[in-house]
Amino acid sequence: MTQPVRRLLRRSGDLGVVSSLLWLVQAGAVSVSIAQMLEPGAYTGSPALYAVMFIVLGLARAALDSHAGALAFRAADTVLARERAALIARETRRRANDPARPPAARTATLAAEKLAALTPYLTRYAPARRRSTVLPFVILGISAYFSWAVALVLLIAGPLVPVFMALVGIAAKEASERQMREVSDMNVLLLERLSALVDIRLLDAAEHTTAQFRTAADRLRSRTMEVLRIAFLSSTVLELFAALGVAMVAVYVGFSLLGELSFGAWGTPLTVAEGIFLLLLAPDYFQPLRDLAAAWHDKADANAVARELAELEAQPETSFLGTGMPAPALPSGVLSVRELAHRLPGGTVIHYPDFDLAPGETLAITGASGAGKSSLLRLLAGLEAPEAGEIRLGGSVLTPETADAWRGGLGWMPQAPRFLSGSLRRNLTLAARPGTDHTLDRALTLAAADGVVATLPRGLNTQLGENGMGVSGGEARRLILARAAHAHPQILLADEPTADLDEETAAQVTSGLLQMATQGTAVIVVTHDPALAARMKRQIALHGEAGA
Amino acid sequence: MKNVLYILRLIWRAQPKALMRGTTLAVLVLAAGVGLLGLSGWFITAAGAAGLAGVGIAFNVFQPSAGVRLLALGRTAARYGERLLTHDATLKSLTDIRVNLLRGVLGLPFTRLGKLRGAETLNRLIADVDALDGIALRLFIPAVSAVLIYAGAFALLSWLSAPVLAAWVVLSFTLGVAAALWWTSRRALAPSRRAEKALQAFRIRLIDMLRARDDLLVYGHLTDQGASVAEAEARLRANLDDTDHVERRAGVALSATATISAGGALWLGGSLAHQGAIAPAAAALGFFAAMGMSETVVPVRRGLAELGRILDAARNVRRLLPEDKAPHPKRPARRDEAVALRMENICFRHAGALRPVLEGFALSVEPGETVALTGPSGSGKSTVLALAARLIRPESGRVVLSGTDLATLPAAQLRAALTYLPQRSTLLGNSFFDVLTLADPALTEERASDVLEAMALASVVAARGGLHAPLRENGAGLSGGEQRRLVLARAVLRRPGLLLLDEPTEGLDRATADTVLAGLRRILPEATILTASHRRAERDWAERIIQMH
Repeated sequence: MTQPVRRLLRRSGDLGVVSSLLWLVQAGAVSVSIAQMLEPGAYTGSPALYAVMFIVLGLARAALDSHAGALAFRAADTVLARERAALIARETRRRANDPARPPAARTATLAAEKLAALTPYLTRYAPARRRSTVLPFVILGISAYFSWAVALVLLIAGPLVPVFMALVGIAAKEASERQMREVSDMNVLLLERLSALVDIRLLDAAEHTTAQFRTAADRLRSRTMEVLRIAFLSSTVLELFAALGVAMVAVYVGFSLLGELSFGAWGTPLTVAEGIFLLLLAPDYFQPLRDLAAAWHDKADANAVARELAELEAQPETSFLGTGMPAPALPSGVLSVRELAHRLPGGTVIHYPDFDLAPGETLAITGASGAGKSSLLRLLAGLEAPEAGEIRLGGSVLTPETADAWRGGLGWMPQAPRFLSGSLRRNLTLAARPGTDHTLDRALTLAAADGVVATLPRGLNTQLGENGMGVSGGEARRLILARAAHAHPQILLADEPTADLDEETAAQVTSGLLQMATQGTAVIVVTHDPALAARMKRQIALHGEAGA
Repeated sequence: MKNVLYILRLIWRAQPKALMRGTTLAVLVLAAGVGLLGLSGWFITAAGAAGLAGVGIAFNVFQPSAGVRLLALGRTAARYGERLLTHDATLKSLTDIRVNLLRGVLGLPFTRLGKLRGAETLNRLIADVDALDGIALRLFIPAVSAVLIYAGAFALLSWLSAPVLAAWVVLSFTLGVAAALWWTSRRALAPSRRAEKALQAFRIRLIDMLRARDDLLVYGHLTDQGASVAEAEARLRANLDDTDHVERRAGVALSATATISAGGALWLGGSLAHQGAIAPAAAALGFFAAMGMSETVVPVRRGLAELGRILDAARNVRRLLPEDKAPHPKRPARRDEAVALRMENICFRHAGALRPVLEGFALSVEPGETVALTGPSGSGKSTVLALAARLIRPESGRVVLSGTDLATLPAAQLRAALTYLPQRSTLLGNSFFDVLTLADPALTEERASDVLEAMALASVVAARGGLHAPLRENGAGLSGGEQRRLVLARAVLRRPGLLLLDEPTEGLDRATADTVLAGLRRILPEATILTASHRRAERDWAERIIQMH
């Protein structure tokens, strides 16, 4: 996943390492400066020189760290943009009835929030890991140069840190997985309740619901504390090791300087400057390891996201025909369907009867549930590829190459009306294609939806809820019909346009459909409603002619 | 900032003891850190001085080294305690806030309730509340401890080292941190707020694109929508980049503060020691204390990075929080007695609409009567039911419930007297029994079975493994007709005096509809029932029909 930004990350890591190494020089300046206070004249240079050196190097380190951070952030940004684009492109192309298609909210959460976990991984964990592979060894080497005893202390205390981290890591992984499950359970519980707020209020069940929520929230809190407790404990233990290591170095250095210990250094006893220098380096021997432990969570989160992405990627891809780009409609003509067959996700193959439909003709597709009625509409819209057979409009065959232009002449009424966020006007003019002279008013009148708009709070500027909250089912159906009429299509595909409507509204919708036919649109409805089917010029009954 | 203080007060008030103790420990941790570095620096330098003077034997090594050990171990232990205490307390307070938020959302007027988008509200309850943990943990407690540490360090350094050295260290830190704080709070807010907006837009547009994929595709707008998703995503990243930029600048400023302060202390101490004004060990103490004080900067830096997000979240959360501590109104005892409903000269129009839905509308329903409203869709059937349930209020005219003006009836009493079943309902719960307990927490299995039997659901429940068999999210997997009957059962369980039903037998075949309607009457023999109906089954069942136009 990070392959394309490897160079960027390496540079960022290098800068971080250089910055850490500069601290060694700063520490040198400090130790010489203090030694000079004790032994004036033993070293050249004034206190001011060393102080300025310390400050300049410190500022340089701040700049280097900032630059390294910028590079890592850019790397994370690149990875994030790429992974998001790939995820969105793949999931957008996936067939709407593909069983592998995750719920929209889940894909959105993955793309919007979870993927963002890659940023802390790349900007915190990766640099810490890089530092921890260099700095401890450099400091160990320097310490060994001055004093083998100090090096020995560090050598013994150091490896304990990763060993303990591995042990804690195992426990932390389990706890954090439990917590992640609890988080996702609570999200599901909440989203379920938030989608039923009105019902909860109407049933006077607000108290009951908040009490249930509190139980879930409390459980999540205790799971979170479990994770935190392990994290705090691990960092405490690391701090303890570091403190013990540093304290041992301090004791050794202190006694050496007092002249009470004479072993551990090479030949000459430790000087004051050397002693202070070693003491200043000791905490930084442990620091990268502690940083690494602190960023452990970032790695765990990133791993979890990478796993989820990989699982989605492993699903076979499915797609609609064509690219989805807008295209001018194909020349009009007779729609003809020949030897069309469709394979259901379960593997059953449905064979459709052949039929022709001229512009202005109307056709009802009837049949029991599961006979493949809705699938036929999806095939006719190029939303799925047929298993076999041919769909043709005049001289053009529906293929991936012609699919965009094919859809350029379609009108579409799905079974469940769905509204995009934004105004009603935006939703209705979605179907407007360049070259159509239909005004929106005419389309609304045709669908008997002008009255609906008049009663809405802000007319065409009203924002409807996702499933048409704010209008009744019949009103939503008529608005969707107006949208289709606004497209002035060659072929209208309507899935159960009168389901759940009262007779009067159903009659209005039916007459709207027939009126579109008189204007040259070939109308195909899929329906259970015998009254609607009878108004169509022809009927085809599907019997679920399934075969292997 | 006012909102942040408000939330801080909420957090603090819920867990005052634990947070107080946590803050005390936080101060101790920082103090021990400064002390540890200062003491070790002093100790080594003093030891070096003694060694050079040849009086190493006389130097008391045990007290300082015991001090170093005590400080090192004490700091480690205090840090563990502080983290546990403050995190636990904050999480508890935030849980309270979350629960209160849900209560606040549930208390919104119905007209707003129906328009809430689930994903957005979820964001308020989850992400926004999560963001608030920084208020106490990374802003308030570190700020308080930093101020106390600076004051303490000034006093101790003036005493042990030199006042001028103490003044330099403390002033440089105070000024540097304050300047960084001021600069960041001015620069970080706008991009972080814009990033949050872009994130919302990205989510909503993406969900729209995925859910309405086929509509967009057929009408040739899939690429447009894809582009607008990509635009929001690019805007999100651009603003996060800006935030990161500000954060890194703030980081540089804070690192520079620590470096300049420590470097200056080294210079000043060196000069003073050179002049013989203070001992070299005291000079070293000043330098090492300054180094130790850079630890106060670390949590501030993280808090600053989150400041924009915190401010935004605090505003969002406060807006939805109910102002008063939610009173727990006593549920009035349910009365099974029937209710009379009268409407006089009602006029209603949707806000801003030109044409009223109802004008001069009047209606009178006697206790125990079954009345059906019929008429074409858009004639105001559902509006009449919503008015009777007080989901909406009439522009003019009166709704009277058993002699009491609806407008003056307390909400709890109103909900106890009537139950309204809208056209679309959502099921909630993971078993049949669970679904029904939403309407009646004191439900018994006998009663549940009885009502399910009346709603012609007994065989459905049995086929799915009984009352407690698991159901999928929002009743998915049940057919439309089964869901409708379950929703009806839920409404009936409340034993209302007035039952308002919008298309109760939608999606049921005639035979089932007749069974269900008969069962309804059997369970609620006394209740007044008003329905909005276009189906023959319901009209045949009603005692009286009111035709609407």
